[in-house]
Amino acid sequence: MRQFLRIIAVFATTAGLSLGAAAQQPFADVGKQPPITILVASTPWYPAFEKVVGLYEQQTGNQVKLDTTPFGGMLEKARNAVRTGKSPYDLMFIDTQWTIEFYEGGFLAPLKEIDPTFDMPKEVLTYGDSGYWNAQKRWRTADGGKLMAYTVLGNVQLLYYRPDLLKQAGIAPPKTWAEVAAACARLTDPPKMYGFVVRGEKGNGIRYDWQSVMLAEGASVVKDPAGGDYTVTINSPQAKAALDLYIDLLKRCGPPNYGTLGQGDVIQLLATGKAAMGDVVTAAFASFEDPAKSLVVGKLETVALPAGRGGVFGAVIGNWNAVIPKDAPEAQKKAALAFSRWFLTSAAQRAFAQAGGIPNRSDVYTSDLAKEPRLRWMPAYLETQKFAKQELGYAEGAQVEQILGLRLNQAAIGEMSSGKALNTAAKEIEELFGKNGRKTGALPPLPE
Amino acid sequence: MTRSSFVSRSFKHWSLLPGVLLLAALTLYPLANLVRMSVSTIEFAEGSEIWRFTPRANLAQLLADDVLRPALVNTLVFVVVSVAAEMIIGLALAIAVAGLVRGKQWVRTAMILPILVPPVAIGSMWKLMYNYDFGIFNQTLTALGLAPVNWLGSTSLALTSVIVVDIWHWVPFVFLILFAAVEGLPTDLLEAARVDGATRWQVVWRIMIPLLRPAIIVAFLFRTILAFKVFDEVYLLTSGGPGTATELVNLHLYKVFFEQNQLGYGALLSLAVIAAIVAFLVTARHVSVAVRAQ
Repeated sequence: MRQFLRIIAVFATTAGLSLGAAAQQPFADVGKQPPITILVASTPWYPAFEKVVGLYEQQTGNQVKLDTTPFGGMLEKARNAVRTGKSPYDLMFIDTQWTIEFYEGGFLAPLKEIDPTFDMPKEVLTYGDSGYWNAQKRWRTADGGKLMAYTVLGNVQLLYYRPDLLKQAGIAPPKTWAEVAAACARLTDPPKMYGFVVRGEKGNGIRYDWQSVMLAEGASVVKDPAGGDYTVTINSPQAKAALDLYIDLLKRCGPPNYGTLGQGDVIQLLATGKAAMGDVVTAAFASFEDPAKSLVVGKLETVALPAGRGGVFGAVIGNWNAVIPKDAPEAQKKAALAFSRWFLTSAAQRAFAQAGGIPNRSDVYTSDLAKEPRLRWMPAYLETQKFAKQELGYAEGAQVEQILGLRLNQAAIGEMSSGKALNTAAKEIEELFGKNGRKTGALPPLPE
Repeated sequence: MTRSSFVSRSFKHWSLLPGVLLLAALTLYPLANLVRMSVSTIEFAEGSEIWRFTPRANLAQLLADDVLRPALVNTLVFVVVSVAAEMIIGLALAIAVAGLVRGKQWVRTAMILPILVPPVAIGSMWKLMYNYDFGIFNQTLTALGLAPVNWLGSTSLALTSVIVVDIWHWVPFVFLILFAAVEGLPTDLLEAARVDGATRWQVVWRIMIPLLRPAIIVAFLFRTILAFKVFDEVYLLTSGGPGTATELVNLHLYKVFFEQNQLGYGALLSLAVIAAIVAFLVTARHVSVAVRAQ
């Protein structure tokens, strides 16, 4: 609730800015800086970031070397960089799921320790305080936490849909998951058309996408991790309802290989016009508007992910955070921070959005840019920020993801019932927390 | 013994020292460190490593690991089926191509191609071909009026699909070893058998294969070791799914070590894999000696 109010306050503050003023806000003057190296993942938004970096080099004369790495190799490169004592990178972009390991390990330089005058512009979205670390609470929060990172790109899932197909079938864009299920029943005509596609693949894919439905059904993985209560609640009746609904959507609305459907597959099905609706990251929008990659240019619209039965909305944030390794030379740290100051300006974020990226400033979303047809995803994105949450924000997050990623997939492909999958996951997660000395417990098992 | 003769005699031993030291540095030290890690829990705080001695906890985790059991079974099935198929197809191809009068070099060159393709490219290429909606296999089946097949998404078919890729990749390796061996067989012996009225099958079964045994054993050993180590293709094709249908030990090891950052338990799993391969090699050596003795 507090996060929601903060976001509303930020939007209210920035919405007053005139469109022209936002456009005219200057880039930061960061002076002459030594060359820096950035570790960045090869992602759908990388071309946009590369363009913005080119603009930085052109404007400032400062040089930036980009080490572009496939997603699968990013974590290892980042780990090696900080564990060897002399980081080859001055700035690293790490997935929000990995940040806890780096924060807890003490590998990163708090941004204010590099330059006490550094402050995050108030317009920059905090994405659930993922850049702050409270070491005492072992939790990502601005409340008593140090600023360790800022979000380079905040991805949330959106519901993509084909208005032409929905109109033809006389269906309005779904606002609840039940409406998605009902719409898909009318739109699905396999193998020509799948009504709704979403990731079912084992691991991060199913865990991440299912959690949006889980949140919408009012369920959680852990009772109150921020308050130190790690009682496992994943085998609640609400979580089971969310899983049953998700499995129904996978089986009834998607292709028969739903159990291995990954992000690339979901994007491919939408881009080739074989899916009427899909649950996909915001960053994919630019590729749907690229005629070289898409058969549905101008045909896809977005809304925030639907609500659950109780009218609650849910979405999980999956952002990339920019961090500065503690063991980078001091001059390099300052140069990395100088680049960050420039990148966080409204002008740079506008340039990022125009190049196909997802800006991290609220004022860009309330500017004239939001009216451009190719950026028509912006209102849905902004709406999602009101309820989107960070999940698995504890040291055991990676292991919990492995557990959930396997058990949810096993339920989806019918290897075990949804009740058994959630009971098994709950037992494994409770053991994990118990082993690490957390205050934990579990709910009574679900009927299997 | 004079000093000079002692120096000249011992020189050959001393000259090996740099190599021995290098070997120790590159193999023994990492192995010793792996053993040390396998009995520890390693965490990081304040930018430094913290090691705790937890052999029992690591062993208990190994015994209670729910994913390890299907991974072991899958690995065993993968190794046995893929290596057996590769040996049979590779041997048949080697004998068939050796019998060609013309075009042997072309066939040999073409056969090398799959080995030259990086496993990452192979995984991506086959994933596209296996794609349910857009893959060439299902496009062909649909064009023929048949139902598309869920190659990688079906729990009963996924491992077979992965094995097919491995067979495609590594048959040429077996072929090349055995082809060279077939080409080196004494032609007079084969000719004599034919003159004596042996059929083609009898020549192959009773003369060629017994003579090829050493080469077959070498190819078999190499392939088995490599099959135990398979990772890239499976990671790209299925990542071990759906469920645990294609979960292999190396894939599980990767997830434990790199994705979950459990360095101690990951090291213990590594040692278990190394022990399994060593046990296999020792067994294979005994079998090989017994076969030669026959």
